[in-house]
Amino acid sequence: MSRVALLCVVGLAAALAWPLLVPNYLVTVGMLVFFTAFIGQSWNIAGGFAGQTSFGHVVFFGTGAYTSTILQVTWGWNPWIAWIAAMAAGGAVGWMIAVLSFRAGLRGSYFALITLAFAEVFRILANSVPFTKGGLGMLIKADPSPANFQFKDPIWIYYLALLLCIVSLLIAWQLTRSRFGARLVAIRENEDAARALGIDVFAEKVKVLTLSGAMCAAGGTFYAQKYLYIDPGIAFGVDKSVEMLLVSMVGGAGTIFGPLIGSFTLMGINEVTRWLASVVPALKNVQPLSLIVYGIMLILIVARLPDGLMSLFRRRPRHA
Amino acid sequence: MTKQRTQAVSRRTFLAGSTVLAGAIGAPGLVGAQPAAVKVGMIHPVTGFVAYNGQQSRLGGTMAIEDVNKAGGIKSMGGAKLEALLGDSQSKVEVGVSEVEKMNEQGVAAYIGCFQSPVGIAASQAAAKYGTPFLVDVGASDLLMSRGLKNVFRLKPGFGVCVDDGIASLGALNKAANNVAKTAVIVHESGEFGTGTAKLLATKLPSIGIAAKELIAHDNPTRNFDNIALRIRSLAPDIVMMSNYGNEYMLLARTLYQQKVNVAGFFSILGGGFNYKFVKEMPDVSQYMMDVNHWYNPKSPQAQALKKRVEATGALFTFEVYLTYTNVMLLADALEHAGSADKEKLIAALAASTFKAELMPYGPTKFVNGQNQGGRPATMQSLKGDIEVIAPEEFASAKAVFPKPKL
Repeated sequence: MSRVALLCVVGLAAALAWPLLVPNYLVTVGMLVFFTAFIGQSWNIAGGFAGQTSFGHVVFFGTGAYTSTILQVTWGWNPWIAWIAAMAAGGAVGWMIAVLSFRAGLRGSYFALITLAFAEVFRILANSVPFTKGGLGMLIKADPSPANFQFKDPIWIYYLALLLCIVSLLIAWQLTRSRFGARLVAIRENEDAARALGIDVFAEKVKVLTLSGAMCAAGGTFYAQKYLYIDPGIAFGVDKSVEMLLVSMVGGAGTIFGPLIGSFTLMGINEVTRWLASVVPALKNVQPLSLIVYGIMLILIVARLPDGLMSLFRRRPRHA
Repeated sequence: MTKQRTQAVSRRTFLAGSTVLAGAIGAPGLVGAQPAAVKVGMIHPVTGFVAYNGQQSRLGGTMAIEDVNKAGGIKSMGGAKLEALLGDSQSKVEVGVSEVEKMNEQGVAAYIGCFQSPVGIAASQAAAKYGTPFLVDVGASDLLMSRGLKNVFRLKPGFGVCVDDGIASLGALNKAANNVAKTAVIVHESGEFGTGTAKLLATKLPSIGIAAKELIAHDNPTRNFDNIALRIRSLAPDIVMMSNYGNEYMLLARTLYQQKVNVAGFFSILGGGFNYKFVKEMPDVSQYMMDVNHWYNPKSPQAQALKKRVEATGALFTFEVYLTYTNVMLLADALEHAGSADKEKLIAALAASTFKAELMPYGPTKFVNGQNQGGRPATMQSLKGDIEVIAPEEFASAKAVFPKPKL
C-alpha cells in the first residue's frame, strides 16, 4: 500500500470516528470543514484543474439553494428529489455562463470578473422576483426526519458532509487520471497550444464549468437544508465565493487534497483563535482577535507558500 | 557510615499541615454550598458589518448581568449568579449556529441574541433542538416568531407592530398638519428586515391618505447614495421613509441634506442610525427627522440612571444597549419564578411572565406564541441636537414639528 493510500485510510478512519468521540460543537465544526472543502473542490475543478478562475462561483451555490428550496416550499417536492433538480439547475447555469463567456472569448481576469457580475445579477434577481420572496428570504419548515433531509442528531449531517467531500475527492482524483483531466491541464497551461494539439477548448471548458456548477449547487441545497433559511445575501453573497477560492488557494489549487487541507487549516485557525479569545481573560474584550490572527496566518501562508500547503508534501528534486 | 536524616515533625509544621488538610477536606463542602452559576449565552455580531450594534448589545447584556449579580443573584435559586457566555456571530448564519452548539456544550441555560434576523432565525432553530430558551433581543423580523417554536420569546415588537404604530403616528401628524403629505418614497435595505417593513408600509400608507410613489432598495453595505438621492428628488415626494441599518441610514440622511431634497418630513421605521451619535454629530442633518423605533421610556428614573451609567463609560445609550439589558432582566425574572435553570421550567416561566419592563414604554408583558403583546415602539424626533419622544402621548417629552421648515 502506498504512503498516500495509507494516509487516506487513516484519515478516513479518523473522520468516521470523530463524531463518536467529540461533543456536538466539534461535530458541527467538522461538518463545516468537509462542507467548505466540498464547495472549495467545486471551485478547484474549474479554477484549479482547468485554470478557469472564477470570482463568482456563489452563483451556482445560490442557484442550488434557491432551486431546492422553491421546489420544496412552494411546490411541495421532497427535498432529496429537489436536490437532484438543484444540481441539474446548477449545471445548467454553469453551462449557460460558460457558453456565453467562452463564445465571447473571455479568458483569465475577464472571465473571473464576468462570473462575479453573473453572481451579482442573480443576487439582484433573487431580491426582485416574487417567487424567491425577495429580500424576505425563504424559510424551510423545521421537520426533523431523514426523509425531509433534516436530522435531529448532528452526526448524520456530519456524515453527509463527509460523503460529499469524499465524492468530490474521487471526482478530482478521476480528473488526474482521465483524458478529460489531461485536456483540462493542457488548457490551463496554454490554451492556444492545447487548441493547436487538437483539443476542443470551448467544449472542454463548457463541460468543466457545467460539472463544477452542478457540484456547487449540491452544496447550496445542503446549506439550505442545514440552516433552513436563505435570503439573497446569504445565497448569492460574495463572501461564499471568496471562501471557496480561499480554501483552494491556501490548500493548493489544482491538487486533489488542496481544498480539504485549506478548509481544515482555515477553519482550524478560526476556531482556535475564537476559542482563545473566549477563554483567555485578557483577550475576552479583543473582539476581532480571531480575525486579526486569521488574516496574519493567511498572509503568511500565501507569502511563504504561493502554491498552497500541498507544496509542503511535494518531493524536492535531488541535487547532484 | 551513612548518615540517617531524621523526619521529625515540629508542632508548627503539624499545625500548618493540619490546617491545610482541614481546608482541603472542608473546601468542597463550602464550594458546594454556593449554588452553581446560571450560564447565559449572548450571541451578537461583534465583528462584521454590524459590529457596532453587536458591541452595544453586548455592553447592555453584560451590564445587566453585573446588576443582577450585585443585587444578590437569583434569590429563589439560593443567590445563584448569572455567568455570561459571550459569542460572536461575525454577522454570519453558520457562525451563529456554531456558537449555539458551543454554548450548549458549556451548559447554557438560555440564549439572548442575535441582532440580525437571519442569524437569529437559524440560531433559535438550533437552540430549539436542545429545548433551550432563546430570547430575541433586537431582531425585528416577524418570521422569527412565526415558526411555532416554543423556546423563542421576543419582548420587543416586531416590524409588523412598528409599521402599524408608525402609520397611526404619521396619520395623526399629517391630519394635524391639514394632510400636507400625500405621497411618499420608501428607501429600504434589501434584506429581510428592510424589505418586510417596506412592503408593509406600501400596503398600509393609503389608509392614511398617502400613496407610496416608489420603493427603492439598497444593498448592505452601500457607501454612496447620490443616485438614490437624485431619484428621490426627481420623484418629489412629500415624505421620505427609510428602513435600514445604522451606517446606511446616516449616509442616506446626509446625502439627502447635501442634495437639498426638500420634503415635508423624513419619517423612518426602525431607522438603524437614528440615535444619539447621529443627532450629536450631525445636528443640522438630523434636525426634524422622525423615527419609529425601540426607545426607552424617558420618564423612567431607572432608564435615566442607566443612560448616565452607559454614557459615563464613553458609550452611547442606543436601543441595542437597553433592549439586551431588558432581556437579561426578563430572563432573571423568569429564573426567579422558575426557581430553577431547568429548561422546561424556564420556558414555562417565560411563557407565563408578567415581567415589568421598567426601562421601556411598554404595556403589561403577555407572551402569545412567544411574542410579547405589550411591546410597542415610540415615535421620536430629532430637535436641536437631542432626541425627543413625540408619541405615544403618555411618554412624550416634546411636541412634534411637522411639516418641517424648508431648507
